[in-house]
Amino acid sequence: MTGRKIGVVVCQCGGNISDYVDTEKVRAEAAKEGDVVSTQVQMFACSDAAQQAVIQEIREKKLDGIVVCSCSPKLHTATFRAMAERAGLNPYEYTQVNLREQCSWAHTHDRAAATEKGIRLVRAGIAKTALSRPLEKMRVETLPQALVIGAGIAGLRSALALSDLGISVHLIERADRPGGQVRRWGTLFPNDKAGKDLIEDLVRRVHERDNIQLYLGTELVERSGRVGAFSVKVRAPTGDLISLDVGAIVVATGFEPYTPAAGEFGYGLDGVLTLPELKELLAATPGPLVYRGRPVRSIAYVYCVGSRQPAEGGTQRTYCSRYCCSATSHLATVVTGLDPAVHQFHLFRDVRTYGKYEALYERALKGGSVFLRYSEEDLPTVVREDGGLVVRIHDRLLAGEEVEIRPDLVVLVTGMIPRANDDLVRNLKLPIGPDGFFREVHVKLRPVETVVDGVYIVGTAQGPKNVAESVATALASVSKAGALLLKGYVDLDPLVARVDPTLCEWCGECQTACPYGAIDEVEYGDRHIAQVNAVLCKGEGACVPACPKAAISVQGYTNEQITSMIDALAKEVA
Amino acid sequence: MKVDTGFLESLRLGGEFDARLCMNCGTCTALCPLGLEILPRRLFRHALLGDRERVLGESEAIFSCLLCRLCEANCPAGVHIAENVRSLRVVLNGEARGLAEA
Repeated sequence: MTGRKIGVVVCQCGGNISDYVDTEKVRAEAAKEGDVVSTQVQMFACSDAAQQAVIQEIREKKLDGIVVCSCSPKLHTATFRAMAERAGLNPYEYTQVNLREQCSWAHTHDRAAATEKGIRLVRAGIAKTALSRPLEKMRVETLPQALVIGAGIAGLRSALALSDLGISVHLIERADRPGGQVRRWGTLFPNDKAGKDLIEDLVRRVHERDNIQLYLGTELVERSGRVGAFSVKVRAPTGDLISLDVGAIVVATGFEPYTPAAGEFGYGLDGVLTLPELKELLAATPGPLVYRGRPVRSIAYVYCVGSRQPAEGGTQRTYCSRYCCSATSHLATVVTGLDPAVHQFHLFRDVRTYGKYEALYERALKGGSVFLRYSEEDLPTVVREDGGLVVRIHDRLLAGEEVEIRPDLVVLVTGMIPRANDDLVRNLKLPIGPDGFFREVHVKLRPVETVVDGVYIVGTAQGPKNVAESVATALASVSKAGALLLKGYVDLDPLVARVDPTLCEWCGECQTACPYGAIDEVEYGDRHIAQVNAVLCKGEGACVPACPKAAISVQGYTNEQITSMIDALAKEVA
Repeated sequence: MKVDTGFLESLRLGGEFDARLCMNCGTCTALCPLGLEILPRRLFRHALLGDRERVLGESEAIFSCLLCRLCEANCPAGVHIAENVRSLRVVLNGEARGLAEA
């Protein structure tokens, strides 16, 4: 008994929990715990009506702690913290107990045991809440300046939109000219505008802005600081290091086209090109297609080269590169436009001209393109025989019959792969997905944010996208950065590590353990101790077990709280 | 089979043959009152891929077609199947004449 007044809400999740856990029994057992003064069962705790009932209970019984036993904290922590706040309770006096993912869903075969486990989980949540303390968010200032890394189409568009909001932009580009991949390409789908024209228009507008500074041949070499006030160092082509202070960072570093291995679908043979190589060839050729002085009368495209590969070891290219089906269908219509007599054969696995781009596929068909389907297990082959290219495919639309084509040109429809950016990844401390692209926080709801607050990923740095999609994410990042920087401050979660200066003897173990560089060595009287930079700390707790003196703990997850939770879980067992 | 672009050219010159939108669903074959297994799905596939021998080898089926348009009325891709069969007959006649002249 601590004299606390804790309320417990047991959620049935409409059967997701109550079908396998006796929620009434869990509630009754929770009511027996010392500090618990209120218990209730709700069919859907997250519903507006249930939240309203809980708020009323918190107010009426003057609760100073609330435990909601429902789903994973990943799903509804924010929901119930906000509910606690509306009830006048400090949001960090709220604890979520995972009765669904970690109990009912895991033990659908044994209701009695699941109920027993549920009771223990709830007891642990109550024990933790009994030791909780009100915590306040940390308010820190933000600088109205942004760094955009990469001056391809996404970076340029981000820079302009940030500039529109009155946010000053430092736009750095590793290459010696802006424009990225799109500049090299000719006509683009869906509106036949040339990539070069799009880029030149954006670059011209960037140059007109007083509040955008473009640095070419420049790379990021260091990042420190925190959301709203990052310090970055960039290396100019002269070798000089330039220090910049920015509130947000937009990573628009783009992709690299997949380069087939020598011999992969005949790559390296005379007349075998990749999709970007064909795009460049078309952009450079004014009239009908000519390759090495020879007119091109027929083309075979091999789709999905480097994309949708079986997962094996290391970086996985299991993903679809999204843009290639539409780009190739569009390219086929361009070729037909130049010379309708050119025969075009598309060797595909699945045609994914999704959404409005389906029209491109139809246009390609009407232009006379023939599509032949191959399977992942039975790939087409490309060889040179008797002085010409020979492509062989088992066409699934002909029940697997072998079809032999002798085209003038073979185009390997290569996908997108992540850029080799090891230094940048290290400097930004951003997570990478198994596919090698930068990873967002939430695939649906937070598509441009990263685990590092104030650092956004846009365009193909995050994963394969076409130009329209890249620009959409670029503008999404601007809305996120604008919301952050124009307010002038940011409130940070207080669930961070804290050092007890009376126990700490500075050994540096916590500093070594911290992946965020959030621990500094400071003087404290006549000795040195560790100090947590609260705005850098993510509260993930790597420092806690590293400390030989138990002098460091994470607020909201103190050693006492964790110990009491373990005791509660093992109550009758021990 | 080997793609014969020359045969594709002669189909084009024949004028009317146009099965570009055929998506190989087989509705036509399932509906054919004569039960002509080859018609028109596989036949058009062979024609689209320029398989001269296979198309010429199907003259029996091509000339058996009643041109009833049951398939055409039900084609989800809107292919003018009967016109295509007609135009293949023209091509076949041409080939036959070509052989006679040679």
